[in-house]
Amino acid sequence: MNASLRRIRAIASTTLLELTRLRVFYVLILFALVLIISSTFLARISFQQEFQVTKDISLGAINFFLSLLAIVATAQLLPRDMEDRVVYSVLAKPVSRFDYVIGKFFGVIALLIISLVAMSLLCFIVLHFRAEAALHDANQQMSQLASPQLSSGGQAIHGAGLNSDLVVALSLILAKCVILAAVTLCISAFATSTIFTISAMAMVYLVGNLEGVVRDYWLQEHPAGWLARAFLAFVAFVFPDLQAFDISDLVTSGISTTGPFLAKLLGLAAIYAVSYLLLAIAIFYQREL
Amino acid sequence: MSDAAAICIENATKVYPTPFRRRVIVALRDLNLQIAPGEVYGLLGPNGSGKSTTLKIILGLITPTRGKVTIFGKNNSSVAIRREIGFLPENAYFHKFLTAAETLRFHARLSGLAARAMTKRIDTLLTTVGLAHARDARLSTYSKGMLQRIGLAQALIHDPKILVLDEPTAGVDPAGSRDIQNLIAALKNRGITVLLSSHLLTQVEEVCDRIGILHRGRLLREGRLESLLGVENQTELVLENASPQLLNELEGQIVSANARLIGRRKSQTSLERFYLKVTESTTE
Amino acid sequence: MKTFALLLLILAAVAPLKLKMETDIGANRDSTTHIRHAIDLRERVGQTAFIAILGGFRSVVADFLFIDGHFAWERVDWPHLLMRLRQVTMLQPQMTMFWDVAAWHMAWNAGTAALNDSSQPPLARKRLQHEYVEIGRDFLERGVANNPQNPQLYEALARLYRDKLHDHARASENFLKASRLPGCAAYDERFSAYELSYCEGHEREAYDRLRTLFQRGGKERLPTLIVRLRAMEEQLHIPPEERIRPE
Repeated sequence: MNASLRRIRAIASTTLLELTRLRVFYVLILFALVLIISSTFLARISFQQEFQVTKDISLGAINFFLSLLAIVATAQLLPRDMEDRVVYSVLAKPVSRFDYVIGKFFGVIALLIISLVAMSLLCFIVLHFRAEAALHDANQQMSQLASPQLSSGGQAIHGAGLNSDLVVALSLILAKCVILAAVTLCISAFATSTIFTISAMAMVYLVGNLEGVVRDYWLQEHPAGWLARAFLAFVAFVFPDLQAFDISDLVTSGISTTGPFLAKLLGLAAIYAVSYLLLAIAIFYQREL
Repeated sequence: MSDAAAICIENATKVYPTPFRRRVIVALRDLNLQIAPGEVYGLLGPNGSGKSTTLKIILGLITPTRGKVTIFGKNNSSVAIRREIGFLPENAYFHKFLTAAETLRFHARLSGLAARAMTKRIDTLLTTVGLAHARDARLSTYSKGMLQRIGLAQALIHDPKILVLDEPTAGVDPAGSRDIQNLIAALKNRGITVLLSSHLLTQVEEVCDRIGILHRGRLLREGRLESLLGVENQTELVLENASPQLLNELEGQIVSANARLIGRRKSQTSLERFYLKVTESTTE
Repeated sequence: MKTFALLLLILAAVAPLKLKMETDIGANRDSTTHIRHAIDLRERVGQTAFIAILGGFRSVVADFLFIDGHFAWERVDWPHLLMRLRQVTMLQPQMTMFWDVAAWHMAWNAGTAALNDSSQPPLARKRLQHEYVEIGRDFLERGVANNPQNPQLYEALARLYRDKLHDHARASENFLKASRLPGCAAYDERFSAYELSYCEGHEREAYDRLRTLFQRGGKERLPTLIVRLRAMEEQLHIPPEERIRPE
């Protein structure tokens, strides 16, 4: 097992290196541009709205770019290795297909974590900068108020900007992207082209966001017709409920998520990721190289 | 276990279904192959004859529809058996973003080499395949010949007992091709079993002890080179500094002994040897 | 093939767990927002469709539409602003700020602009203003239905009834609802009592509530409270010894 771990680490670190040299980090520059442009643009709107909107846009952009990264980066890995015949030289070594797929997966996860940290830092910096500016304005406007009132006002401004709910939202985005990467790996284990994988993932994304509705309908309304029931059951069984991880709008509107609820969500994410990963490995074992 | 064949294929058949059609493609039909330890075996055949399929079956990259493969008497499906085998895939590009040294380090880590032994092993191999000068260049800048050499080096990184080479000299210039042949000869002297596939006949004849000819998935002929190519009732003499007088005397004796002289001509070097001689003399 | 079958078996065993956890989480989400049952079906279908199509990017799309609406306001393009506000509140029904701002734009800004529109005859201006106020009221009623736990929307609705529709009973009722929710403003209860004091037939109740507030003392004893309380004492003919003393 120790030897297997070493091999997985070797494949994961090489995958990370591959992804960074593929210049996927250009996506991060795009992210920075979106964030900075939109936040200067928003300076025209009133303070409370601007704050809300900056937070929304930051989270939305992180969500978007990280999902994109998870799908596009993962979709390329196996086809690229086939094309360059790396898969042969690697699997001809004492490396099982299990090690290979897991190694690739962890390489992508490392990339996602690094990207998320970079994007969040940028987001925190912008939010902090905005909060300071707002506090400065508030100080000038309220200089005649008593100091306890002033300091509670300052706390309100800070609380609107940086809070632990933002961290919760970010960790849920990461959880969702880990699931997306596992599903992408699953599809690319049998797909013959990157384009197919990416378009299939677009569909998975859409259906995954609808899965909650489909599941409720299947479990509670008992629709007539075996075909309809079979279809609903198939969607409910196979697809992940991506909507469950989209509580960023709850967070941006200031509704706190409780600890047990978050733990349950992360547990669900882990179940998804492990299941899809196992499926990817099973499919890859069947594949003729 | 030492008397078991290095590679043994029994009745291997590989059938590929074609999507949306009833027809199937038979890539390999009842192949039997035994390669002894220390032997250099050449698999000859045109493109699409089943050479790559055979090699991939040996490595467990694809599973045969029927039949079985053993390596030193053990089933080839276990991952551990691949410690004994080094493989050079056809047209391999490897990770283009890595340097030569990084590529070897990556494969060494996959093979489970200890970190301390690694650096030394990498240096030795880079010198062996003649890439010491390019160790820190990215593979994206490498020529085809250099890629084949780094491919050989990665196949050898864990010091395997068997080396499987798929078209090792495809796309390589004659000098590089000669180097690779010399390397194979050197490996043979160290007792390593080599299985190589090629569609270049001269290359196979220079290095191989035994050859097999594959065509449309069937092994048509197999055997030692001299027994396959020797013409039973003919003998060649190659003479140096023979005077015309001596040659005439010999011809007279041949006729009187009821034998027949089929031809008489100047010895010729092969074009390959000629090319190598010319290019070597200009580079030095 | 054996490993493959085994893995499929494992996955089939995981599926019921997956469904159970998803259902739990779905129920938890709904209980944190208290909305599912409160809003009508048409609105729910629209929200679900948007959720599916936009995935996790609803909030960003809503923000951009909101900004576009802001520019429409700057151009004084009321129909365009109204369209954007409807889209934004449809996309992000949990964002109380959107409902609040939407109602304010319609009832106050668009309404006043209609009233000052010199190109129209006076009667038409009045009617158009009333229509805009009604649209604003509709925004707040739906906002409240979507966010029954949010005091700010009740306050906004109360202000709209008080200032634009002069419906003191409804204003009082909504200030009272706001005052019972966590995070309400300190004045909600007072304002509810003030509004009640303008409602005919509710003088006694208004008097009792004003009196209770007055007896809390301190910050509650504001000039308006005292003025309204005295007015009630007059109307109800409270005996002098029971009346509050002048300060």
